[in-house]
Amino acid sequence: MWSDEPGSASRRFFYSAIFWLLVPGLIGLFLATFLYVPSFYDKLPLVVKPYLSFGRLRPTHVNIMIFGWLSQAYAGAILFILPRLTRTRLYSERLAHVNWWLWNLMMVGAAVTLPLGLTQGREYAEMIWPLDLLAVLNWSLLAVNIWVTVMRRREPKIYVSLWNFMAATIVFIPVYMVGNKIWDPSGAYTGMTDNIVNYFYVHNLFNSWFTTAGVGLALYLLPKLTGKPLYSHRLALWGLWSVWAGQHHQLYSAAPDWLEYLTVVFSILAVVPTTAFIVNFFMTMRGCWNRVREDVALRFLATGAIFWGLTCVQGVAQSFRTVSLLVHFTNWTVGHSHLAFVADYTFWSFALMYVMVPQLAHRPMHSRKLMEWHYWLITLGMTLFMVALWIAGVIQGIDWMSGRIPFLQTVQAMYPFFAARLLGGLMAGAGVLCFVYNIWRTARRPQTAPAMASVGGGGG
Amino acid sequence: MRTSLFYLTSVSLASLLLGIIVTIIIPAEEPIGPSALARPYTAQEAWGRDIYKREGCHYCHTQQVRGPEANKGMIHQPGDIGPESAPGDYYYQSPVFWGTERQGPDLTHVASRQGIGNNKAWHILHLKNPRAVSPGSLMPSYDYLSQNELDALAAYLLTLR
Repeated sequence: MWSDEPGSASRRFFYSAIFWLLVPGLIGLFLATFLYVPSFYDKLPLVVKPYLSFGRLRPTHVNIMIFGWLSQAYAGAILFILPRLTRTRLYSERLAHVNWWLWNLMMVGAAVTLPLGLTQGREYAEMIWPLDLLAVLNWSLLAVNIWVTVMRRREPKIYVSLWNFMAATIVFIPVYMVGNKIWDPSGAYTGMTDNIVNYFYVHNLFNSWFTTAGVGLALYLLPKLTGKPLYSHRLALWGLWSVWAGQHHQLYSAAPDWLEYLTVVFSILAVVPTTAFIVNFFMTMRGCWNRVREDVALRFLATGAIFWGLTCVQGVAQSFRTVSLLVHFTNWTVGHSHLAFVADYTFWSFALMYVMVPQLAHRPMHSRKLMEWHYWLITLGMTLFMVALWIAGVIQGIDWMSGRIPFLQTVQAMYPFFAARLLGGLMAGAGVLCFVYNIWRTARRPQTAPAMASVGGGGG
Repeated sequence: MRTSLFYLTSVSLASLLLGIIVTIIIPAEEPIGPSALARPYTAQEAWGRDIYKREGCHYCHTQQVRGPEANKGMIHQPGDIGPESAPGDYYYQSPVFWGTERQGPDLTHVASRQGIGNNKAWHILHLKNPRAVSPGSLMPSYDYLSQNELDALAAYLLTLR
């Protein structure tokens, strides 16, 4: 339970992350089906209806996807990387196991409370107060392992990934505390300020945790998979000024105009670190593109980086008032968030797991063919999903701005796009099943390399 | 290297702190009083607002009208999205339900809409069976709410004038 075997906590984080990927994935498919055929919900038995209603399952889907799947995949990968880049042991494997238990306690809590309607009602900050406290504790425990391991390192140089992990934790913990009003059980501010803080938090959840740590993870994997050193070590650290850009999520709103203009300026400034990462990534990739055919992990990493570039282009474009006026509130936004959280960070997490799980389990991946199926199903599925929603969003935006079409008619125009989204979602789901089955068979396969210590002790 | 760790920490936290001061604290210091549309909630309306939050209505219905679409965007008739939202409209609200998605129409001024808006019975009927009154709607049916809950939720919706 509290194994001291190196890598055991990392492996556990990966396995539980995969479990938490399945839960919101199924919820997503359920909601996509509901949006395409809303009347099927009417026929459900009355006892289950409250727990399956859209307004309760949507935050469940989002919170488990980002905190249960992505964040645990990140934690597993960070714990895997730390000893390797510092040439020392992880500061405390046992602390990491405590972290794992508490993290999953938090996720079980979220999976139970959110469908029950226990929510703080603020987007991405829905988890109730006790779970907020657990979240702060969890990121703090992870931060202790990151910081102390780096301080105890035997490798004199601090590689760029480690800088990113340290910056991510030190910025994200206060962001979470302010964003969730951690000192108040209601978790909400009053009036306009509540919205301003909410989107400060949403933007920085994305910017300081998923992007800063994610870029660190990608820059660890890239030289490993290409066998080439990073093109530039200077270009790599993510721009801290993006901290200021939160309000670009709500343009033309009741918030002060000067604040909106300011955040637009900072959003445009974010082009600098974004370009730096993209240049760094693709200059390192130069001459390695033929490997993408052979190496599914590298293919997931590179595809994720291309989608990441697209996310940033969309993100900057959406921070202009004219673009925001057209596509904000439409299904475009849904497409954009799936681009960021699925097509970038989830794709990177797949790449990380395809590299790290075989090493942690001391076995090669069970099936190469399933890896191919996984890649093509989820890439084509998500592309269909997102393109359908982007087109749908532009149509909605134009219809609304015309001021001549009744709202209900603009909703009915969505059904073909919702059908395409459902189909794309089913393909992506089938891809994920290939991935999960493959990892499961790998974990159960007889070992090819002799085990370092008792493998049974640290299993997921 | 110890000094670089110190720089990383201090630069990160300083930039975060400045961000919080400029983008949160300074806007919050602007003196904003309640607008003509804002009013404190009765116990029943406040309960209805809690039900609105519990059921996640704000994931599909925004409560903010942006300047360029004010009195232009259309729900049933031209112009019926209503006037632009002002900061004082949200004076008594915690949390606010500005929202980011419109799978359904904006509800900022729903109670001011011709014919249905101030009709409590219509709202309750629509909540219980949306497709009976709005064919083709994709709203979930809220027939699992008790009569008291439906009354409270409708009472809250009538405050959105």
